[in-house]
Amino acid sequence: MDFAFSSDQQLLKNAARSFLDEHAKPATVRLLWDDARGESESLWKDMAQLGWLGLSLDEAYGGAGLAMVESAIVLDEIGRAALPTPYWPTVLAATAIADAGTDAQKKRWLPAVATGDARATIAFLDGDLDWSPDATATRAEKSSEGWRLSGAKRWVPWAHVANVLLVPARTAEGITLFLVDPAAAGLALAPVQGMDFGTRWVHVTLDNVRAAETLGAPGSAAPLLQLLMRRGAVGAAAEMLGAARRCLDMAVGYAKVREQFGQPIGSFQAIRHKCSEMLLEVENSHAAVYYAAWALDARADDADVAASVAKAYVGDAARKVCGEAIQVHGGIGFTWEYDLHLYFKRAKALETMYGDGDYHRELITRMVSGV
Amino acid sequence: MDLNYSSEDRAFRDTCRAWMEANVPRHDLKTLDERKQWHRKLYEAGYVGMLWPKAYGGWGATAMQQAIVQDEMARIGAPPTINGLGIGFIGPTIIVHGTDWQKERYLKKMLTAEEIWCQLYSEPNAGSDLAGLKTRAEDAGDHFVVNGQKIWTSSGPIADWGILLCRTDSKVAKHKGISCVLLNMRQPGVEVRPLKQITGHSLFSEVFMTNARAEKRDLIGDLGQGWAIAQTTLGYERGGNSLGRVTRYAISFQQLVKAAKELRRNGRPLIQDSAVRAKLGKLYAELEVQRYAGLRVLSALSKGEGVSSASSITKLSYTEFEKRFYETALEILGPHGHGMSATADYEEIDTSSGEPGTWATAFLWSRAGTIYSGSSEIQKNIIGERVLGLPKEVRADRVKA
Ligand SMILES: Cc1cc2nc3c(=O)[nH]c(=O)nc-3n(C[C@H](O)[C@H](O)[C@H](O)COP(=O)(O)OP(=O)(O)OC[C@H]3O[C@@H](n4cnc5c(N)ncnc54)[C@H](O)[C@@H]3O)c2cc1C
Repeated sequence: MDFAFSSDQQLLKNAARSFLDEHAKPATVRLLWDDARGESESLWKDMAQLGWLGLSLDEAYGGAGLAMVESAIVLDEIGRAALPTPYWPTVLAATAIADAGTDAQKKRWLPAVATGDARATIAFLDGDLDWSPDATATRAEKSSEGWRLSGAKRWVPWAHVANVLLVPARTAEGITLFLVDPAAAGLALAPVQGMDFGTRWVHVTLDNVRAAETLGAPGSAAPLLQLLMRRGAVGAAAEMLGAARRCLDMAVGYAKVREQFGQPIGSFQAIRHKCSEMLLEVENSHAAVYYAAWALDARADDADVAASVAKAYVGDAARKVCGEAIQVHGGIGFTWEYDLHLYFKRAKALETMYGDGDYHRELITRMVSGV
Repeated sequence: MDLNYSSEDRAFRDTCRAWMEANVPRHDLKTLDERKQWHRKLYEAGYVGMLWPKAYGGWGATAMQQAIVQDEMARIGAPPTINGLGIGFIGPTIIVHGTDWQKERYLKKMLTAEEIWCQLYSEPNAGSDLAGLKTRAEDAGDHFVVNGQKIWTSSGPIADWGILLCRTDSKVAKHKGISCVLLNMRQPGVEVRPLKQITGHSLFSEVFMTNARAEKRDLIGDLGQGWAIAQTTLGYERGGNSLGRVTRYAISFQQLVKAAKELRRNGRPLIQDSAVRAKLGKLYAELEVQRYAGLRVLSALSKGEGVSSASSITKLSYTEFEKRFYETALEILGPHGHGMSATADYEEIDTSSGEPGTWATAFLWSRAGTIYSGSSEIQKNIIGERVLGLPKEVRADRVKA
């Protein structure tokens, strides 16, 4: 039983921290917030160089052959920096191609992801606010010249920069996952401005869009989508953890220096106890994220439950910690100029993704009660 | 990172499980003698005093092994051991600060529960601010004469010995004039009056000392060192109970699920109600997080990493969780959560308190954890000051000191 990072994992963490401290300062994040595309090509290439994009891919495809724990380590740091990036949608989509793709599909996409030449994303949601694959409403029909997809996908992260979209659709065979070219005729992208300018969502409309390829056999996508949701949830939890720890650090730092009534505000119990509760939530979240990541890697019996536990728990915890950090700061915490809201908003955006708290609590109850 | 149990730990668990299955008593233990016998049997099997050094009658086991034993005991619903305070922390205090004579005289009988121990710290006017205690011990040559009152003394009514914090010098600053001495509870100068707890039972008590006698040879450390001793040795039990505790919650949780399947509202089982399912899901998520955090502490302990400040976080985390757990359970169960004796299968749970196990008892007990061993507020002070490095609060006694 070893809950600590291995020395390689610790090295990865340290490297990610120092890279992001230098290259993803809040000022950089703010520039990207104002950027139409919303992410930095040069940072993307740097991430490829650092090996982050291929972290979980097979060495045969230019990857490092590592897994969820390492992805979580990087995402934890990305959350801490609130870096706007299609990192997780791309890496997650790549795991789907690695798991279910043909040799040709893997060769086409995986090396390109690892080298930073391709971005990808998964369009989980349709019109319903329901993360279950059963809720898929987009339809696909087979014709003589291939598949045709019609429907509306909502809240697709970073679709406007993706080179390939993974689109679940309903076919005669059942739920099927398609590889769709975002430039295909009949496909329209409409960006949605959310409160976190660092999370870019896009509504994707498909009107009789041609898709040459399915990912995996038609009708077989539901279990894969569930697995992707679980991975996605753990990754989002890792990023929320990073954002929360950043807010905790800022709150504690501020409580030591801000004086009122002739004393540092951290000497007031109301503030100190808040900070202690925030630390408790952050440490518990750390345990939840890395337990779940390890369980996915190890294919542990409780991996499914652990993923939902991490998403449900850390979603609540990060919201609380980031919010309380604003409270500890008083008025300055409510300003656009002060950086707290970058992390507060990142955590809040991720709370809704890959299944919100209620969705995962419901899953947990189903899994543990057998109902 | 590798959260698999080692093959040694898995083998240890198998052995332990087999032993429990063969030896756990099939009936409730009613008398103190029965409980002592069971305790003794566990001790002889190597399952009590596990973290104590072998030289003092312990087993020199690892924190993980101890956690596994607690886990297996919870799983099978084994009756709890006794003398928890003695073995968890008074014994270790003697091991670290005591004389050879004291070790020889007291330790073995403590482990085997031949002698039951209590902790004589809290007083009516000295709780969180323990250093404000007033019980006096006056030098009378080869012994001290003790006068004063202690309160909330767990196991007081059954204790043979107590570890006592008392004032031996009232002229120096309050933290400095305190000494630590072992007190024989079976003497005319010591009167124990049981106090009835909110559970209806009397597991703690008041203790009145009137010209009671404490031997000089029973002084722990030097005169005036009592406060430092009380601060430094918080024991060998850290982390050791984390898995057992969570397993007990998990078993209770399954009882709750069972109840939610059987009890009906609006013509269907409660578990079909999404509000109930959301509550259950939240409880289970929190319960699992307690387990993960417990494993993290055990992993740190196995590397010999100090977890003294982390233990404040752990204590705060699980005691506050326990309150939420039983509060939510009782919300779901309605009047079914109120029985002081069980009338349906799902009304019965293991409280490990030695009291009859129902939801109501567990719910009531959950109010204690955030008060004893340093209340939640005190834990948050400690975390804030020692872990986060936040400035100390301005306090009247600090200004004077
Ligand atoms: C079931 C049970 C068993 C116990 N067993 C034993 C035993 O065996 N031996 C023994 O010696 N004692 C025992 N105790 C006593 C226990 O240690 C004390 O109750 C505890 O230290 C709190 O002291 P108090 O009750 O005097 O409350 P107080 O110290 O008066 O506290 C009252 C309230 O004020 C808060 N408070 C106090 N100081 C501060 C501060 N600085 N900042 C913020 N808030 C503060 C507390 O958190 C609490 O909410 C037991 C208690 C219980 C409930």
